[in-house]
Amino acid sequence: MIPRITTILTSVIIVLLAGALPLVAKTAMDQLGREIQMPDDPQRIVALAPSITEIIFALGQQDRLKGITQYSNYPAEAAKLPRVGSYVRLDLERIVALNPDLCIAIKDGNPKETIERLQSLNIPVFAVNPRNLATMMQTIRRVGEILNASAKAKTLVEDMRSRMQRVDALVARIDHRPRVFIQIGISPIISAGTNTFVHELIIRAGGINVASGSRAYPHFSREKVLALAPDVLIITSMSRSGAFEKAKTDWSRLSDMPAVRHQRIYTVNSDVFDRPSPRLLDALEILTRLLHPELFKDGP
Amino acid sequence: MILNLKHHITRLIWISLVLLVFLLIAFSLGLSIGPTQSGMRSAFSALFSIGDSDSVLHSIIWRIRLPRVLLATIVGATLSLGGLVFQALLRNPLAEPFILGISGGSAIGAIIGILLGLSRFPGICFTSFLGSLGTLALILIMSTGKSILRKDALLLSGVMVNAFCSAIIMFLVSITQDARLHNIIFWLMGDLSAPDLPEVATLGAILIPCFILVFVFSHAMNILMMGKDMALTMGINIKAVTLILLIVTSFMVSATVSFSGLIGFVGLVIPHLLRLVLGPDHRFLVPACLFGGAAYLVLCDLLARTLPQQGEMPAGVITALIGAPLFIILLKKSRK
Repeated sequence: MIPRITTILTSVIIVLLAGALPLVAKTAMDQLGREIQMPDDPQRIVALAPSITEIIFALGQQDRLKGITQYSNYPAEAAKLPRVGSYVRLDLERIVALNPDLCIAIKDGNPKETIERLQSLNIPVFAVNPRNLATMMQTIRRVGEILNASAKAKTLVEDMRSRMQRVDALVARIDHRPRVFIQIGISPIISAGTNTFVHELIIRAGGINVASGSRAYPHFSREKVLALAPDVLIITSMSRSGAFEKAKTDWSRLSDMPAVRHQRIYTVNSDVFDRPSPRLLDALEILTRLLHPELFKDGP
Repeated sequence: MILNLKHHITRLIWISLVLLVFLLIAFSLGLSIGPTQSGMRSAFSALFSIGDSDSVLHSIIWRIRLPRVLLATIVGATLSLGGLVFQALLRNPLAEPFILGISGGSAIGAIIGILLGLSRFPGICFTSFLGSLGTLALILIMSTGKSILRKDALLLSGVMVNAFCSAIIMFLVSITQDARLHNIIFWLMGDLSAPDLPEVATLGAILIPCFILVFVFSHAMNILMMGKDMALTMGINIKAVTLILLIVTSFMVSATVSFSGLIGFVGLVIPHLLRLVLGPDHRFLVPACLFGGAAYLVLCDLLARTLPQQGEMPAGVITALIGAPLFIILLKKSRK
């Protein structure tokens, strides 16, 4: 057994030396501050999270995209690309089989070990780390740069910024901020704390996040939610399946809750709300309409 | 006597050879089948011709499948040997690291190690070992005296220890939102996917001396099975042998748990099967369990990663699907 391991180790070293000649054409600093050596014009990209697939499509660079993850369902066109496991559980073999010249990973979600193993297989991995709307726009700019689509990224981000400013201007007119509870998990009940996209969306849309706090994704009991007395309750759902409708009916029985009294329980598409992609602006507009319908009375 | 010894060695070699061939077949299947189909011939040409033209297949075989199949080999060998040792020492045919709760204790230790931010070697391996020693002590205390030898007492203490361990694991997982625990559910059912070749080699280098040690004690295990008085007349220090074997086995199991999570019932299925075929002599059973358990887990892992259309399932799902019914059958039989 021991001699076998030695042979294997020697062979691995030889393989490493043989494979250590990638087509390095440029060095880029990713959003984790790591220097990545990658091709000048990457042609075979694997997007390791649904949000990254969306960004690449939004930049019009989908021809470079050769692989996506399991729940990458937007845009519909993406569905025909091969899948490499889910973003929290990537299938290394499927990724390697696609022979990518670049993988784009997301810090919040992709397991670190998988990323390290991809790099040890000489596959460059550019990691993005969007923390809020502002850094998300930087992410789009950076991805645009490495894909030689800076101009497109610039117009995309400018458009997003102007949509954001339009919402800001509308929200500046409000005199009351409703208390909002966004439920992102049904059982257990999970919401989003201060350091999340959902929190930022609520604040920008002119609401108060009753789940704010240091924990990113806190768990709640039904009783606690009742005690927080939200004026608006929003359930994000991944599918239009019955579970979410049932959650809505369950809440409706608690007539002491302001949200129930005023019939302000809504379901929204979770893909739009929890992916750091350009669609977060859609989420912002949807949320603003739900929280402040009065702002939209005379046309959009 | 000399004739006897010669016969013994010939039988040992034959048994080892047959099971080794079996292991090699399982190993080849494991290497050549995967989500990206390759076929055995191209898999082997990729394995042996270094720096060959199809570099993608080459890295898939060398860097992804080989570490995984090697890990399954080592873990399968360890768990099946662990079952054999526990069955001999506790003189209970239903003893097995997973059923006893030794694996669960190691898992708690490993999770604490992960939360403390330790590296796999030596950190998590060590906390995992402490966890396994903790549950071992708990089991021995709970069944002081002779009651551990009774099947029901052992099973009950195992059930309790396991329940307690899973409660602690859920507790730890609930109070933290550590991203490092993202894959924990998968890992709790046995996950052979993660490591790199050098890590697997380190695990092998740690465990092979343990295998040899257990083999050295295989005759002592035979005598222990004959009873206390027999062991005393044969001049065996029962306490020392039992203690050494329990600790070494717990160590082996905890080392594999820190790599691959909880894979149950391998230590039940393989020793029982081999005892049926080879008889009760541990001098044959130890090497047979090593090769047999290795081949078995390689095949179970192969099923686990090829049965689902998308992704894979934890290897522990397959071993439990096969092992748990067998456990029930054995329990029913032993009651009669």
